[in-house]
Amino acid sequence: MSTILWIVFYPIIAFIIGLFMLGYARKFTARVQRRYGPPWHQLIFDIVKLMSKKTNISHGYMHDIAIMMLLGGTLLTLLFIPVPGFHYFAQYGDMLVIMYIILIPSLGMALGVGETANPNGSIGISRALMMLAGYDVAFALSFIGMAMLNHTTSMYQLMLIQQQHGISSWGIVVNPFLGIAALIALQGMMGEKPFEVFIAPHEIATGPMVEMGGKYLGIMMIQHCIGVFLEITIFINLFLGGAKNWIELIVKLFVVFTVLLSVNAVFGRFRTDDAVRFMWKIPVAFAIIGLLIVIL
Amino acid sequence: MYLKTILLLPAITFLISLLFYKTESVKKYLNLIVYGILFYYGIILYKQIGTNFGYNLNFSSLSVNFNVTYLGYFFTLMITGLTFLTVLFYLKFMKDENAPRDFYIWLAIKTFGMLGVVFASDLFTFFLMWEVMSWSTYFVMRKGENTQESSFKYLIYAVSSGMLLLVGLTITYNTFGTFDFAQIHNALSGASVSLLFLLAVIFIGSFAIESAVFPLHSWLPDSYSNTFSPITSYLTGISTRIGVFAIIIFLFNIIGMENINKLVIFKGISLMYILGLISAITIIIPTFTALEQYDAKKLVTWHGIGQGGYMILGLASGTALGIAGGIFHIVNHLTYVSLILFSVAAVEYRTGTTNLNKLGGLIKKMPIEFLGLLIGIIALAGIPPMNGFVSKWMIYKTLILTGHPILAIAAVIGTLGTILSVYKLIHNIFLGQLPPEYNNIKEAPFILQIPIIVLMIVVYVLGVYPGIALSLIAKIQSALNLPAVNYTLHGVSKEVGELNMNVINLVFLGGIIVAYLIYLLGNKRRHVSQYNNYAAGHFLTEKTKYNFNYKFYAALDHVISPWKKRIIERTEKAIISFTENFGEYFRRIYTGNLNTYTMYILTAFVISIIILKELL
Repeated sequence: MSTILWIVFYPIIAFIIGLFMLGYARKFTARVQRRYGPPWHQLIFDIVKLMSKKTNISHGYMHDIAIMMLLGGTLLTLLFIPVPGFHYFAQYGDMLVIMYIILIPSLGMALGVGETANPNGSIGISRALMMLAGYDVAFALSFIGMAMLNHTTSMYQLMLIQQQHGISSWGIVVNPFLGIAALIALQGMMGEKPFEVFIAPHEIATGPMVEMGGKYLGIMMIQHCIGVFLEITIFINLFLGGAKNWIELIVKLFVVFTVLLSVNAVFGRFRTDDAVRFMWKIPVAFAIIGLLIVIL
Repeated sequence: MYLKTILLLPAITFLISLLFYKTESVKKYLNLIVYGILFYYGIILYKQIGTNFGYNLNFSSLSVNFNVTYLGYFFTLMITGLTFLTVLFYLKFMKDENAPRDFYIWLAIKTFGMLGVVFASDLFTFFLMWEVMSWSTYFVMRKGENTQESSFKYLIYAVSSGMLLLVGLTITYNTFGTFDFAQIHNALSGASVSLLFLLAVIFIGSFAIESAVFPLHSWLPDSYSNTFSPITSYLTGISTRIGVFAIIIFLFNIIGMENINKLVIFKGISLMYILGLISAITIIIPTFTALEQYDAKKLVTWHGIGQGGYMILGLASGTALGIAGGIFHIVNHLTYVSLILFSVAAVEYRTGTTNLNKLGGLIKKMPIEFLGLLIGIIALAGIPPMNGFVSKWMIYKTLILTGHPILAIAAVIGTLGTILSVYKLIHNIFLGQLPPEYNNIKEAPFILQIPIIVLMIVVYVLGVYPGIALSLIAKIQSALNLPAVNYTLHGVSKEVGELNMNVINLVFLGGIIVAYLIYLLGNKRRHVSQYNNYAAGHFLTEKTKYNFNYKFYAALDHVISPWKKRIIERTEKAIISFTENFGEYFRRIYTGNLNTYTMYILTAFVISIIILKELL
């Protein structure tokens, strides 16, 4: 029974936390840049407005299905990530599964954007995929390192192992190199500056979102809230010992997010090839050092 | 006895194709029926696993022996199934007046050769059938324009593969005095490590050519992609994989796991690890070469090489999970790669091109082919819930847990490269702007869609119920004296870390339904044309090219190409200059003087008489 309740309410909780985090992000970035910034609940207004728009323009059935694949795939990924109190699905799929189901939303989005027949969108997708090839190498390496260190690929097991002796058994303390590599990769995964090449509003008119409006953009925003929650939770579960209760999880989420945002607030945008080059050099080097420490 | 029937049926198609040599319209239907019957017998062969028969050759003491093993049955299913689908697709794809008359003849011989290889129970039969198979492949692929040179390249490789095999065969027979697999296996347990190494290098080298393992792969992309598209699918799907079959037979049936463990060069670096490293390179380099192809068929055939690397990587891991993953990947690869190539071929049937820079926006015109290609690329990229993910998951998992980080990261990088290039494939054919010249294109004929729909279902079903294939694979492993994989209907059982594809699939469907409900919350949507698009204030018309597909990953190319220049081109230059010098040395043999040649022939004759006298 409690499992069913969790399945229903977990995505809602994740969405609300994500909403707060994104509201906080806008305020935080504004204050760093000495602006006043929108109120924290601006995103709620945005979503309600977009969902109730009268005209919704679509370019075909794939465009419609894409938006469902985007949200559906994100919900799928979310349910497989263990959080305090809920790890029912974690037994059916390990971290390797998560690494690949997390691509389903992006794939769906890519197909939908392709059908809109707008070159700005296609360029955005091409850049997003190149970024994927950039950050995922470091992220996979650091995950492989953690899995080899603890002899398991299950994210729930990794979480439990890190909770045994408090902070001293956290992944980022046991092997800081892997943790730093994953943190930099996370910056790319979240599309924060300096790696936001695929949104790039001034170059390619927000890339994938260029032909999205009305409820399509609204669903994308809902997905973004859940996406922010789940991407940072993956990092927390792998390197910061997960969380024993929700308050701990929320605190950790905001701490990690603040680190990412402070980088985001002060950096410009890398060119795509520079971003990929950076990703293949610095974080991969960190990850390889970490991996060598694990093996030797 | 089904085995005899199965080996006889290709002979019947051969006769049919000879009788109706000039009447394409009759022979194609007759052939389809016979290949259908062959597929039926391929399925019911399951009842007779373990039967065997031999046939003594009149002119010598040698005999040809066949038996049905689980592995043989597994490959028979794939060979007969894909051949049937290919013939079905070919039926409509080729117009009668353009069809090469001798295609069915060579297809019959090739099918016979492949079936003979998988049923062979001794080395002599194996070699005989191997030669039949590789020679007929040359004639099968030598169809269509510009195939002379590329298929001749294949022939050179195939002949050297056959020669290596002959050398291995001779050494084995001279040492142990027998051709039988089981007897060689028993004799090998007492053999020295150096002999084992010699045999391993010779045999695996020979099979690596056929299965296009990295340094020996260069014959494949051109020769496969220049032929007619259905044949490309057939060759990529099954023909290359017979090489992997041979590697399985050689590693686990002839040498045996207990002897493989002896093959260690020095601490930690074993034969299997070297094989793993080679297959890791086979994954990465062809996959990133595929990224820059602009011909759909060539792109997929390059991936065919890369995916072959995963199979051998799985086998080289040596664990129950890894070997099962490697074998499972063969059937997965067959299903999704032929699905992809059939879809591409159906597009080619209507548009007449496979050039990725000229196509675009066909999704509205050919939705079935789009769906086929979509499911195919999801499987090829190894994303759940399709079948390619399951086998790749098994390989990643075993590599991580047995402590092979380098091989595991190679597998992961290969998958990243695959995702990039398959998105380019589907985007440039089906997405983006539809060029005006394709405005009146229709769906492909229904006969071309049948193989696509069938394979779509197979790819999805094997993804959600991998247990269907894994049950057979577990039996193969027990028959080869290997530890069998712990499987369930939906994946892998708890002892090895559970994977349940059904749960993933259901949760995904549930997520889609929730997303659909949220989607319904908004107001009704309106479909608009591709010219009703954001163009920064410009008006788009039919004449405006507003598309992005040329050099899809230009930025990545900026990153990779300097590396390629540094490493690959220099290596290539070195190899070329070496070959030129070497060739110059050999050129002196060809003096152009008839007397010299006569002397050569005489010398060769005398030498071979001496050798034969020693042997017999």
